[in-house]
Amino acid sequence: MQASRARLFKEYKEVQREKIADPDIQLVCDDSNIFKWTALIKGPSETPYEGGIFQLAFAVPEQYPLQPPQVRFLTKIFHPNVHFKTGEICLDILKNAWSPAWTLQSVCRAIIALMAHPEPDSPLNCDSGNLLRSGDIRGYQSMARMYTRLAAMPKKG
Amino acid sequence: MSKRVLCKFFAHGACLKGEHCEFSHDWKAPPNNICTYYQKGVCAYGSRCRYEHVKASKGNSSASSSSTNPYQALVSDPVSPGHDTRTALSGASPIQGTPLELYASCRPFIPPTKPAWNEEFVHHDLLDDRDIGEPSSIRPADRSICSFAAAGNCPRGEKCPHIHGDLCPTCGKHCLHPFRPEEREEHLNTCEKKQKQLDALKHSQEIECSVCLERVLSKPTAAERKFGLLSECDHPFCISCIRNWRGSSPTSGLDVNSALRACPICRKLSYFVVPSVIWYTTKEEKQEIVDSYKAKLKSIDCKHFDFGNGNCPFGTSCFYKHTVKPGSYTWRHHRPPPRRPPPHRTNFVAMDDLFDVFDPLEGLQDFSAEDLFDEELTSFEMALLLMDMGSDTCDSLSDEEDFYSP
Repeated sequence: MQASRARLFKEYKEVQREKIADPDIQLVCDDSNIFKWTALIKGPSETPYEGGIFQLAFAVPEQYPLQPPQVRFLTKIFHPNVHFKTGEICLDILKNAWSPAWTLQSVCRAIIALMAHPEPDSPLNCDSGNLLRSGDIRGYQSMARMYTRLAAMPKKG
Repeated sequence: MSKRVLCKFFAHGACLKGEHCEFSHDWKAPPNNICTYYQKGVCAYGSRCRYEHVKASKGNSSASSSSTNPYQALVSDPVSPGHDTRTALSGASPIQGTPLELYASCRPFIPPTKPAWNEEFVHHDLLDDRDIGEPSSIRPADRSICSFAAAGNCPRGEKCPHIHGDLCPTCGKHCLHPFRPEEREEHLNTCEKKQKQLDALKHSQEIECSVCLERVLSKPTAAERKFGLLSECDHPFCISCIRNWRGSSPTSGLDVNSALRACPICRKLSYFVVPSVIWYTTKEEKQEIVDSYKAKLKSIDCKHFDFGNGNCPFGTSCFYKHTVKPGSYTWRHHRPPPRRPPPHRTNFVAMDDLFDVFDPLEGLQDFSAEDLFDEELTSFEMALLLMDMGSDTCDSLSDEEDFYSP
């Protein structure tokens, strides 16, 4: 418990220091609980998520960093590897390929990379996965762009 | 002659000179307990002084009864560091050098109203007389070098009656004796080694563990201030962090071989972890650390093998010593005994079973199983060993505490 707290505190300081270095990621720790974090990530450019800002929720286990944090999207997103309803993410590094050398910051980076490179072969969102698997790139892109505009962009006016 | 006074460093069990010491290492030799400060007039400790306060005349007579050289009495002065400084010069210095050096080392304890070398000591003239009296009768190699110069700066400069040593390029001190080649060589070698070690230690201070993100050598407890070297890659971790990671339960969905046994950074599979207090910079240094660790383990009897009565799961690739005692199972049958079934809990516990339960725990005192992961192990045994590991991690850490890999 002490170890995870110390490590999260280190990460917190690192995040404060690197705030400007990575403008795509904004990691914020809960005021009262260091095991709860939220992140705002920018949708990568040249993807249907471009221009959107997505919110992630981190629940860090007490055994961290020996066990991976639980991450899910709070913002609705149309992506083959993200559950449409719960926001659960299917990403190997958050499951069996976790390594204690990963940090919350690097997990955010990995999620951005996943947004740019979906894996339709292990889908959590079957509709999205099927569109990609059947080769309907345009269909997937327009759906994803629509949801980005609906859920991840600030309302105009 | 001086051999007759008991060496006070020896008396405290810390004489660095060993048999080369000018003073007696015989417990029967009389200790010299006369306060030389009192004899000279002032002893700052007064009545609290642990040395005898006797008048000069009496002191001289008693001093000369145990030693023909009255200056020897100075050597037993309570806090003189002269002994230590002179060990750096190694070898017994002739009587000539001794008194003056000791005066030199006494300097910090005299109230610093004036620099000591300007002060007119009562014995000063006498000493100089002695020095001038027989200057050429001794070979240059037998003369000791000036300790002031060796320490950095001799205030006497050119006028110093002692030889000024040559500059050591490593430590930057004038401590190389110009006429003793072996001593020079020795100093240069040790100095270089020390410097190298210091550099390595300095370099190690900066190294961070990628698991806890802290500097390994800045951790709070001594047991934690150690690196865990992975056999197959060069990524630094604390020994406790990497062991915790490798020992974390495989039930959490993580694969033992592809995740737990792999380096957290490069995912290269390593079969064992080597503890070290220092981080290496070259492949040879790493090899040296690993070799000395293995050599140390090789000197410890394997508790699993139990001198031929037990079955070691690591077989021939075990890092620990497998000695076959005459009369043991392996000695009689030329093969290890059949594997013991895992201890099962019943209501009725026979005495033997009781021992079976405690045996592995005791055995793991200096055996950390996860260091020695081997393909021979079935996953069940692995799990068992890892469970034992958990209870033993602290012990194994403290056991290795005294082990220092250079």
